Amino acid sequence: MQAVCVGSRSAYQRLVKRYLKSISHYAYRLLGNQKDTEDITQEVFLRLWTNAQKWNTEKSKLTTWLHRITHNLCIDYLRKHGRMQTQDSFDDEAADSPSTSEESNEETNDKTKLLREALSALPENQRSALSLCHYQGFSNKEAAAIMNISVKALESAIARAKRSLREKLTTNI
Amino acid sequence: MTLDEFTRIIDLHGSEPAHWPKSLRGECESFVANNVEARMLLNQQWQVDESMAKLEVPSFPGLETRVLNQLLPERNQNFFEEVLSWLIPDEYFGKQFWRPAIAACIPLVFGIVLGNYFSFGIGIEDDGFQYWDDELAMLSLTDYTETNF
Repeated sequence: MQAVCVGSRSAYQRLVKRYLKSISHYAYRLLGNQKDTEDITQEVFLRLWTNAQKWNTEKSKLTTWLHRITHNLCIDYLRKHGRMQTQDSFDDEAADSPSTSEESNEETNDKTKLLREALSALPENQRSALSLCHYQGFSNKEAAAIMNISVKALESAIARAKRSLREKLTTNI
Repeated sequence: MTLDEFTRIIDLHGSEPAHWPKSLRGECESFVANNVEARMLLNQQWQVDESMAKLEVPSFPGLETRVLNQLLPERNQNFFEEVLSWLIPDEYFGKQFWRPAIAACIPLVFGIVLGNYFSFGIGIEDDGFQYWDDELAMLSLTDYTETNF
């Protein structure tokens, strides 16, 4: 990161390769569609290049800082486009994903579809909290820092999200 | 333990007992063993967790190339901002310690450079220096022949 600060493009490329998957997955889980995810991911790494000197090594880990940029960009994007819940969907893309196409069990497919719909319907803060803690592997404290909320608020969002998913899935199965 | 308390634990830590707080794990397990509703709740959460584990994000072919090939602009800081961020760094105590001293020297250096090029109407008060050509003329007119060596 120090090298990126002084303008090293090779160091920048190494960081892109290291964090691209994590950032794009987080953006996808918030936005729910491939095109927006790619645009936001590109913007995140552009910000990494232009604002590298603003990163405070003592204040946060690089991955936390990058996820925070991603989070803010996604929230701005969702607010600007007037949809706090992803309208277009995980569904079409899910059909293309290798894991889903390989599924032989129809019931599992239905469950996955239901879960995608339930996740899409969650408010953005709940979806974000769930994604950061469940999929991205952040601790509650780190996730709260990324979302700029208190740990209590984060725990509350996770609890509400899980309750909501449980209710939607169990009533539909 | 009540069902609400157990629900809260499930909501926060999921269906896997290994993820439950150590201090409450035993209590939770005995509560599940003796409570039908708790078992139902645990089973529901287990199904949700299982579905969530299977949920995958599609691959993004070409995204890495796209990000790596995007045109990287020059840093969006102008010269003044660069100097300022260099003089007042965000990190490293050592740099913070000596950089203000350098910043304090800048007006001094600026003053020396300015003073070297501009007199600001202040003359050099040295008459001898100003009339050196007269001095030379007077020396040339002196008759040294009378001097006894």
